[in-house]
Amino acid sequence: MNMLHMIVGGLTNVLMVLIAAPFAQGIVRKLTARIQSRQGPPLLQPYFDLLKLLGKEDIESGEIPAMQRFAAYLSFTAILAVACFVPVGFASPMNASGDVILLIYLLTLCGICTLLAGLAAGSPYSLVGISREMMSMIALEPLFAIALVVGAVHAGSLRLDRILNGSPYGGVGLSGIIMLGVISFSFQAFVQRTPFDIAEAETELMEGPLMEYSGPKLALLKYAQMIKLIVYSALFVALFTPWGSGLMFPFGWLLFWVKVLLLVLLVTVVAATHARYRIDQAVRFFASLAGVAVVALILASYGY
Amino acid sequence: MIAREMFEQFKQRFGPLIERADLPSDQRIFVFVEPSSVRHVTRHIFRELDARYVATIGADDRPYSGKFLVAHNFAFDREHLLCSLLSYLPADNPRIDSITDMVPAASWAEREMRDLVGIEPVGHRYLKRLVLPDGWPEGNHPLRKDVPWNEVPETFDDTREFKFDDPPEGCTVVPFGPFHPTLDEPAHFRLYVEGEMVRGCEYRGFMVHRGIEKLSESVMSYNDIPMLAERICGICGCVHNVAYVQSVEEAAGLKPPPAAEYIRTIMLEMERLHSHLLWVGLACHIVGFETLFMQSFRIREPIMWMAEKISGNRKTYALCVIGGVRWNITAEIKLELRNVLDKLESEWQAVVAAVSRDKNIQKRTRGVGVANPLLVKSVGLLGPVARAAGVEIDCRHDHPYAAYDRVEFDVITEQGGDVWARLMVRMKEVFESIRIIRQCLEKMEPGPLQLEIKDELPIGRIGLSSVEAPRGESHHFVITGENNRPRRWRVRAPTYQNLQGVPAMIKDQQIADMTISLGSIDPCFSCTDRLETIDPRSGSVKVWTQDELLKLTRTKKEARR
Repeated sequence: MNMLHMIVGGLTNVLMVLIAAPFAQGIVRKLTARIQSRQGPPLLQPYFDLLKLLGKEDIESGEIPAMQRFAAYLSFTAILAVACFVPVGFASPMNASGDVILLIYLLTLCGICTLLAGLAAGSPYSLVGISREMMSMIALEPLFAIALVVGAVHAGSLRLDRILNGSPYGGVGLSGIIMLGVISFSFQAFVQRTPFDIAEAETELMEGPLMEYSGPKLALLKYAQMIKLIVYSALFVALFTPWGSGLMFPFGWLLFWVKVLLLVLLVTVVAATHARYRIDQAVRFFASLAGVAVVALILASYGY
Repeated sequence: MIAREMFEQFKQRFGPLIERADLPSDQRIFVFVEPSSVRHVTRHIFRELDARYVATIGADDRPYSGKFLVAHNFAFDREHLLCSLLSYLPADNPRIDSITDMVPAASWAEREMRDLVGIEPVGHRYLKRLVLPDGWPEGNHPLRKDVPWNEVPETFDDTREFKFDDPPEGCTVVPFGPFHPTLDEPAHFRLYVEGEMVRGCEYRGFMVHRGIEKLSESVMSYNDIPMLAERICGICGCVHNVAYVQSVEEAAGLKPPPAAEYIRTIMLEMERLHSHLLWVGLACHIVGFETLFMQSFRIREPIMWMAEKISGNRKTYALCVIGGVRWNITAEIKLELRNVLDKLESEWQAVVAAVSRDKNIQKRTRGVGVANPLLVKSVGLLGPVARAAGVEIDCRHDHPYAAYDRVEFDVITEQGGDVWARLMVRMKEVFESIRIIRQCLEKMEPGPLQLEIKDELPIGRIGLSSVEAPRGESHHFVITGENNRPRRWRVRAPTYQNLQGVPAMIKDQQIADMTISLGSIDPCFSCTDRLETIDPRSGSVKVWTQDELLKLTRTKKEARR
């Protein structure tokens, strides 16, 4: 019974994310267009784009085609795996089969896929792209990990349902508020939007690691990127603004998606009003955030 | 200082070295010297008199004087004087001492002269092929008069490849171009990169030569050429159109009627408006700020509509003929243009206010791609690039043409010489252009639009014209000739000089800054590449020969059938 519950719950999560992600992307594109005095594509355009890409010829290219294919599949599945562990309107379904450490690993795996993709392409541009990706990963990934660990320290447990429930605030909430600031400032980078879309920077690196991709494999990578926006938003909501998640079915669920939508809108506005940072500027920014995050971790371990 | 005083100075100093001199007006001076004393005189002009280097022109003059002709053009900007230093070279052995050790700015021009006319600059340190395609045989110089305009030499070798220099030790090569999203036109920079830092680069351009100069002196006639000239560039075509016509007019001693001069001024400024707005948009696109890119294109669009209403075209205005212009600006268009300008001014003020407060853009542009006044002088940088370094040069002010002597405007300068300063210069120049157009509309009076030219234009006269294009000075050099066409027409677009400064600007910077540094000179490759035909292949790291590529495309096509 419990097993069945887990599988159904996981599948429901995956399905919801799969459906919602292109729609969120549609909202991003529409809002961006309105800010730029453009008409913008219809809200459903990302679905059509994905379908179009999926229907194209599957071309083998780059230095190591097998690895290229693997990287595309892996990035798609890794982010969907994350989706199974994150509450998306309902409580986290796979609560019992994994803990926070698994979640941190899975999040890192998503970044590693970009590296694999870039390596497989093997062009100078993609290599520069992955060197940037690596630099920002090293500085960036610890931030979410620290946020989760702060939550774990306060909750006194590694269980997902106890941590993904506003736990970073603990009793006093000081470290939680600091982490809220840190993650808010770096959120744009986690979902790879301007001003931190440095690894792909079209005008510098011609999409960097993605440059050799086309057709269905590109569709998977693009899809993974859209899902990333939803999943990270869900993580953010669960960690920092879980209020109302306990409400009765349609209300709690609706409230959650409204919060995610607000985050998506915020991400869009920030992306549309900023220029891209250079990698050294970005890394310096992440490093200073990491310093602040470590302070929050120390505070948390003393109970603040 | 007028031309006569300058010439007296020359005569006192160089006396017997000067063979002949022409002073057609107070603003022009043509000095003919022995080839052996060119370096001597150049040193005096460039170093002691602090002139600005403009261009070097080689011409095949054998059918007329039995000799080759070389002209080094200099500008005395404060004195409002253009000076040309000419010398004749023997037909059997055209060699001239290179001036590049004193004037590094002449490097490309001398290489081009060697490629196209076959005049050997003796002492030039880097005599690599510049203009001709890779497969073009040595010893065939297409701008010589005995080479037909439509000839492809039999010895043209498709398989020959361009030899790039070896990268410095410890550096990897990142090819930038020939095709790249931020390059609107093909050009190839081989970047030598250490990690994320650019340590140097080699440039290979001239991939879209169209043989425009050769066509002009062999096939077309005086009044056809303006239409060809404005097709040199996709953005600042009107500049070439006007500059060519002005140089022919100057050579022939014609003065167009005042109404025509005002119309020329108005169209040149409209072109500057749309070019600067386009550039600000592209610069924002390069640093990833798409919103401002879209907004400046929206603000720019009414200018394009206005141009279409006036000339029938958004971009190629077909404005000039020798001695005047082809169409009028009517009273209703004046009114509409005023309204467009008012709207543009208020919208642009909002953009400038937003950008100048934006910390984010400053972070990406301050201290990036710096060109100091020293580099400006030695490489001959022009236009907004020079003005952003605090060097106050602007042909509209220094060498007034059309109606610029009758309008008031400020020459915008900034300090710093970085991309940010160039951004500010261009943004503020938009307001000056609006001011100029308004004054022209005010002062313009109805009158004839063209001169009546009854006689043939005189033969063998030289005309110079410097027009301030949106990117800097566009310099045209014309020798009038027989058969209703010029003997030689040389175009020196501003990007020709500005590109030579790019290697110094991007050295020891991050790759991420390369695109905006290059973008900040507003490069215009079609202007630079205006010569000769035949498309050469790219020299990317993994080299396909042309044959292989052709075979590949053909087999794919076969397979599809």
